[in-house]
Amino acid sequence: MSDTLTASPRPFAQRRALILGGLAVAALALVLLGPLFLDRFSLNVLTRSMIYAILAITLDLLWGFTGILTFGQAAFFGIGAYATAMLLTHVGSSPALIGGALVLAILVPMILGIAVGWLSFYYGSTPIYATVISLVFPIVVTQLVYSGGTLTGSSSGLVGYMGLPFGLEGFFRLSGLCLVLVAIGALVFVRSDAGRVLTAIRDNETRCAYLGLNTQRIKIVLTTVLAGVAGLAGFLYANASGVVAPENTGFVFGTELVVWTALGGRGTILGPILGTIGIDYLSANLSGELPFLWQLIIGALFVVMIIFLPNGLAALVARFTRRGRNEVVTGGGPTLTVSAATHHTQQGGGPLLSISKLEKSYGSHKVLEDITLDVAPGELVSLVGPNGAGKTTMMRCLTDGKERSGGTVRIAGQDIAGMTPDRIVALGVGRKFQVASVFESLTVADCLRMARSALDTPSCIATAHDLGLPQAAVEILQLTGLDRLLATEVSLLSHGQKQSLELAMVVSLEPRLILLDEPTAGLTKAERTTIGGILRKLTAEMGFAAILVEHDLDFVRDISSRIVVLHQGRLVLDGSVDEVVNSEIVKTIYSGGENA
Amino acid sequence: MLTLLLDIITTAAILFIVSAGLLAIFGVLKIVNFAHGAWLTVGAYCAVVTAGLGLNPWLALPLAFVAGAVLGALTERLIVRPLYARPLDAILATWGLSIVIGQLITLWFGRDVQFTVSLLSGTVDIFGTAYSLYRLFALAAALVIGIGVTFVLEGTRLGLSARAIIMNEALARALGLDTARIRLVTFMIGTGLTALAGVLLTPLTSVDPNMGLAWLIGAFMLVMVAGSSFGALAVACLLFGGAQVIVSTFISPILGGITIAVLSALVLRISSKGFSRV
Amino acid sequence: MRDTVTQADKLVLEGVTSGYGPIAIIRDLSLTIRKGEIFALMGKNGMGKTTLLKTILGLVAARSGDIRLDGASIVGMSPKSLVTAGVGYAPQEQPLFQDLSIRDNLRLAVQSDRDLDAALDKVFGHFPFLQGRLAQKAGTLSGGEQKMLIMARALMLGPDLLLIDEISEGLQPTVVARIAEALRAERAANGTTILLVEQNLNFALSVADRWAVLKLGEIDDSGTTQSDSRARVLEHLKI
Repeated sequence: MSDTLTASPRPFAQRRALILGGLAVAALALVLLGPLFLDRFSLNVLTRSMIYAILAITLDLLWGFTGILTFGQAAFFGIGAYATAMLLTHVGSSPALIGGALVLAILVPMILGIAVGWLSFYYGSTPIYATVISLVFPIVVTQLVYSGGTLTGSSSGLVGYMGLPFGLEGFFRLSGLCLVLVAIGALVFVRSDAGRVLTAIRDNETRCAYLGLNTQRIKIVLTTVLAGVAGLAGFLYANASGVVAPENTGFVFGTELVVWTALGGRGTILGPILGTIGIDYLSANLSGELPFLWQLIIGALFVVMIIFLPNGLAALVARFTRRGRNEVVTGGGPTLTVSAATHHTQQGGGPLLSISKLEKSYGSHKVLEDITLDVAPGELVSLVGPNGAGKTTMMRCLTDGKERSGGTVRIAGQDIAGMTPDRIVALGVGRKFQVASVFESLTVADCLRMARSALDTPSCIATAHDLGLPQAAVEILQLTGLDRLLATEVSLLSHGQKQSLELAMVVSLEPRLILLDEPTAGLTKAERTTIGGILRKLTAEMGFAAILVEHDLDFVRDISSRIVVLHQGRLVLDGSVDEVVNSEIVKTIYSGGENA
Repeated sequence: MLTLLLDIITTAAILFIVSAGLLAIFGVLKIVNFAHGAWLTVGAYCAVVTAGLGLNPWLALPLAFVAGAVLGALTERLIVRPLYARPLDAILATWGLSIVIGQLITLWFGRDVQFTVSLLSGTVDIFGTAYSLYRLFALAAALVIGIGVTFVLEGTRLGLSARAIIMNEALARALGLDTARIRLVTFMIGTGLTALAGVLLTPLTSVDPNMGLAWLIGAFMLVMVAGSSFGALAVACLLFGGAQVIVSTFISPILGGITIAVLSALVLRISSKGFSRV
Repeated sequence: MRDTVTQADKLVLEGVTSGYGPIAIIRDLSLTIRKGEIFALMGKNGMGKTTLLKTILGLVAARSGDIRLDGASIVGMSPKSLVTAGVGYAPQEQPLFQDLSIRDNLRLAVQSDRDLDAALDKVFGHFPFLQGRLAQKAGTLSGGEQKMLIMARALMLGPDLLLIDEISEGLQPTVVARIAEALRAERAANGTTILLVEQNLNFALSVADRWAVLKLGEIDDSGTTQSDSRARVLEHLKI
């Protein structure tokens, strides 16, 4: 924490808007005036490069920002191009039909995008599986094009249809205009509160789900929208080039897009645009003289870049220009406000959490057996027991409706059977993980906002100036000093600060029940005391219920209102602190004499 | 009918030959070698070189194995080792390597189709049906590779160490196994086997700098479904290879070409473990 | 009590700090274990006992401090070279290859198959039941048998220093007694130094010469095994 600097948020945001506006004007001037000084060859090539750059933006949003490595954007592009060319070839050409082609070129990829998204993203799907699907999809599309006979023109593609009546200059300007618009849209979106959700998913998808976000649905929507944008690029390509071919849909083209995006710098929008235009333009110029050597250089550069500079050339540039990213920022960020509770305000009768005969087994091995337990608001229940007693397994069973093998778990009277974590969070359950689970590349304020985004839908274009949090969360931030570090990137925080931040995030969900898995692991004595005080206040004064898994028994003794002892998957004792501490069973378990 | 059956079995055999090296690497290292196609190409060009030197065409097999293994050793040390913690990036880096290898081959040999000396030609008569001798030989080769791999895995110390790493790498390290060396050797065996497969492919396909690409996706999908088990790979090759032959014969060869990819994707959608428990 | 004056130090930890990622589990820990002694390190869950053993073995990197084996620093050495140097390890988490045979599990502990038969004969002396069941898969053994297999594997190479992680966990007293017997016999025969990480204080105090209690990554208390040790340690371990 040696470097600290103070930033005031408004001028910074304004400056950024100014830079963005200036860039947009300059880019627009370039694409509108370009035809005046570029030769025909360059115009032709750059038109294509700019259309590819639109694709690179879509790939960057998926891969660079959200962490989904996909080769499938090429297929959506090809489908858009083929939809245009097929309609204009087989039905005819008129302004209305060209308009129809535009609609089809966007809609068809979007519908397929929903299908691909549904296949790729489901509860429990792996990143590699999504990549596998993104490989299979373009291959299937390409083969379908080959087997389409005269409908698709098979291997020779479609040519000779009448598209938009623009000349070379016209298409250059149109493509450039589209690129600038898509780029501005992407840049505004990724800096908005909603755009940060993508980065949060990339950093820590599990945490997102436990903040009540349906990450699978977000990824499906993103895939669908970007499939539409890729289809638009396909429409432009089909018109500008006057020919579509099977290669436009293929997996190899998909890998080229990845190479350009990677070299330019994933996760920066501008990097992939410049990478794509630069490499495609150079390729067109150099492939005449150095056909294979050029590809060789690109390939070698790509390998070196992936190993040593995974964030591409843009990362090199950013290393010299970016300010405030690698330093602890004191002050700045949004204004903290206390928001009134919007969630779970009504209090039903009966216990908040009711577990009955809970069981979890792996094959024949029972990890949990016959656990029955009720927890009421205001209680702080500590779950203790030796290693392998089933404590963490029990926490999982309470937050993921698909985990348990038998018995029922009810939260506020509702059975959670089969529910995914985001839906259980919506019932009022917050879970704090053992290792601080936060978003390393976001700021403190963004992390907290993420915790609110299931309750306050974030804006897709703007960054809010206020950050409204529940009273309890604001107090945690003030007690731990995090309220002065709102604009600091989380990766720069200490371990203890991250633990406190995660607790504040969980409390921001306005939960009724908080589950904490070893919240004090690796903390100093002072930090433990702070966290302990916060927990006691949350339960005793504010009426939260909490279940705590903890090894530090002094800590447990100090703050619990009740202690539950697990041993070898069974609940062996449930009582007040005094009852448990003085019980013979516990002495036996912890001295290892007899086995229960 | 008999021809169809033989086609299914021999197609499965060829798929097994082509995928075995990729599986060995994925099983132990948990890394997808996306330069797999390039190694098939390297192997095939070993056959071209052997033919060009006027040597016995069978010599291409050991030559390819050695060339593949040596190149594999370099790749593991320089490219794959830094990326064990970033498996998606490892896919990309090995894909970049395949571009480099493809262009180097093009620079050296040109991009035209090369011709190789056929290892075995003609047909044999099986129950009155004439069938390609070479495809039957491929079946035998697949069996030899399968038995060889099984012997190494089940019968040698290296195989035991590799299985130990697959099952529980942390424990293997704690017991003092040299995991870095075992990974290196496994990678070399995988790439050696793949180059060998490239030689075996030469009588079946034309040899050009991009020939490996056509096989990459099929092999990749089969390996994803098989997990880390050669038995599961054999099952996947038989089932999906059979489906490919049937679709190609009765519906369309072009759709046959995507059968393996589509079926594998569906199997993985249903069970992320694929056939690995077979 | 054994005379300590003539005994050299086998394993010395000096100001060792280690952990995972940003979290320090072991903090500035110093500990000396003498040649030929059985030392019990006790403490509740999550206090860093397992991490300490992993740090000694090089499975978790020490961030600061020094670890010396027979006087020479071993910081940064690979597990393989430590095993070769005579360190045996009986881990607690996922300690066996469940799907491999007993023979293969034991075989992985020796560096070359040539040494296998002699090493097997040695451990059959401690745990005779293994002899007839070499082909059986480790996963099919009962809990107690699995623990004995883990012990057997750690003893295969006749180590000079044995690191044992909660071997008594979940075991019947009779099995615990057999393991204690094997440890005493091994030390009597070879002068083996043993570092025992335990929660079962009855077992630990019955075999150890000295003990220490680890709390939050630091040594909280230590002493030699005497009649009043049990009450003193229990005070630290109880809830």
